Amino acid sequence: MIVIKDELNSLPIKTYRWLNVNHLKLDERIEKDRKPFCKRFFEEMDDDNISIGSINNIVTINQHLSRINNEKQEYGVSGKMVDMAENFNNAGVYAYIKKGADIEKPIRIEYGMDRENDVVIDNNIIVASENSRATIVVDYCTLDDIDAFHNGAMKIYAKPGAAVTVIKIQRMNDNSNHFDSNIAVVEDGAEVNFIQVEFGSKRAVTNYISNLKDGGKSAIYSIYIGNRDRELDLSYYMNHIGRRSISNIEVKGALKDRAKKVFKGTIDFKLGSSKSEGREGESVIIFDKTVKSKAVPLLLCTEDDVKGEHAASSGKIDEDKLFYIMSRGFSKEEAMKLIVEASFNPVIDRIPLEDLRDIVRDELARKLIVEERI
Amino acid sequence: MIRSMVMENKFLLIRDLHVKVGDKEILRGLNLDINRGEVHVIMGPNGAGKSTLANVLMGNPKYEITKGEIVYEGKVLNDMKVDERAKLGIFMSFQYPEEIPGITVENFLRSAKMAIEDKPIKVMEFKKVLKEKMKLLEMKEEYAQRYLNEGFSGGEKKKSEILQLLILNPKLAILDETDSGLDVDAVKIVAKGVKEHKSEENSIIIITHHNNLLEYLNPDYVHFLVDGRIVKSGDISLIDIVEKEGFESFKN
Repeated sequence: MIVIKDELNSLPIKTYRWLNVNHLKLDERIEKDRKPFCKRFFEEMDDDNISIGSINNIVTINQHLSRINNEKQEYGVSGKMVDMAENFNNAGVYAYIKKGADIEKPIRIEYGMDRENDVVIDNNIIVASENSRATIVVDYCTLDDIDAFHNGAMKIYAKPGAAVTVIKIQRMNDNSNHFDSNIAVVEDGAEVNFIQVEFGSKRAVTNYISNLKDGGKSAIYSIYIGNRDRELDLSYYMNHIGRRSISNIEVKGALKDRAKKVFKGTIDFKLGSSKSEGREGESVIIFDKTVKSKAVPLLLCTEDDVKGEHAASSGKIDEDKLFYIMSRGFSKEEAMKLIVEASFNPVIDRIPLEDLRDIVRDELARKLIVEERI
Repeated sequence: MIRSMVMENKFLLIRDLHVKVGDKEILRGLNLDINRGEVHVIMGPNGAGKSTLANVLMGNPKYEITKGEIVYEGKVLNDMKVDERAKLGIFMSFQYPEEIPGITVENFLRSAKMAIEDKPIKVMEFKKVLKEKMKLLEMKEEYAQRYLNEGFSGGEKKKSEILQLLILNPKLAILDETDSGLDVDAVKIVAKGVKEHKSEENSIIIITHHNNLLEYLNPDYVHFLVDGRIVKSGDISLIDIVEKEGFESFKN
């Protein structure tokens, strides 16, 4: 039995309680046990510049990690959820990229949950050495009509000058739960970019943190769809520690039926982060009046020589645009789907694998058109 | 009985059309008949209801028909949805085309063509047709891969509308001020595109207050639209009257 009695995705600074955005309070018992995940979930790489393996040899890895990083920091959707992922996992990948290596082929991790393997608790660690470059694609999906459970953690260490892109696609079915915690340590002149596609699950709670040192860069491009009674709680935190660090959070979504979404984006300019720049923006297309959409963009400054920008917008679909598209033969649903797809395309185009781009576009159409007709 | 036979044979019939936008009545009893293959020009002063007529024919929900009827190929259009009209072969070239960032011209047009014809169209086959039409309109090939109308100049947007016209090949094309704001060369190219579309099967309504475009096309009829009604109809010689006298004499 998995019991979640916790406050998830807490804001770094509390706001009025009546706003109801400080955290997501859960008290749930999920009728599942932690059991092994008996499927292959990553592709071996035929490349000497990278070593990749299952996370199970945790002792060696922890020794390895303690050499590269002594910092302890709380992260993730909550301390307990991260503890579950780090210490009671049944899956996960450890990847180490050698100095200066440029790994062109994306590292592909796929958790396809089925009847026998409906629980994924994964702990993933990516170490990108100095001036290396790599892309990691993780796909969480359900293959059977099951109620799956996923709780995962991913730590990314980008050493000076390294560049890492992480693409996370979540398209689990409407009966499933999804919790995901990510932290990137972005050292001097390194860059970590996240691309997040959040299309599935009854409940999706995700958390991304980037710690930026001198000249570090991090961007998050996220797209989400909320339909039916699904809930999303999305939290992002850009922690500017070093000078001249740059961050960007760009979130785009579409909400229909009775879906609920909370977006929390924080840009934190710590003392010493002078000449840093951070921007964040969330825009959501609202299909129905019955949705609930909340956005909490926060700018925290203990340094004054910085530039921060934030914006959140939500709106119904532009009637003139809808008329224009429909005048070319598209039904109202198709036209609305087209507008969402148009807004999501720049993010979908960042997925480096064609088959996954197609899957994401099909899923989008399914969520916005096909499920409409059921 | 005879009258209804006539009505069924007509391509487009507009009878006593009254249209409101918000609280304001714009069209006040407009009548117009159009046969297959004819080119009609509608001219009139600003605010007379020219764009309203275009929008109401296409089915813009902002415009409300309070009285009268639009009959197209024997079907009453009044309450028909916009996309259903498009599927029946009605097309409007917009005065201010919308920008759709994120969808390329090619993908948009191929999807639109498939929606209207309700059958799949092969990518390569479509590319070939698109390339031909773009060449005719002197559009650079790269425009096929650009996002629809995004960052297009005024002239490029109008060419993009005519490109859509040529690809979708509608039976009734309504060109709303397609020639306004265009330089002489662009007007020539647009006219070339419209000529290409003109046929015994295709009818065209040209809404304009210039005669730029008309020099290149031979309209069958010219109508003056003033204060929400057609006040005079005739052949192309009517244009000379407007040139000399304007519309003042037709106002109440």
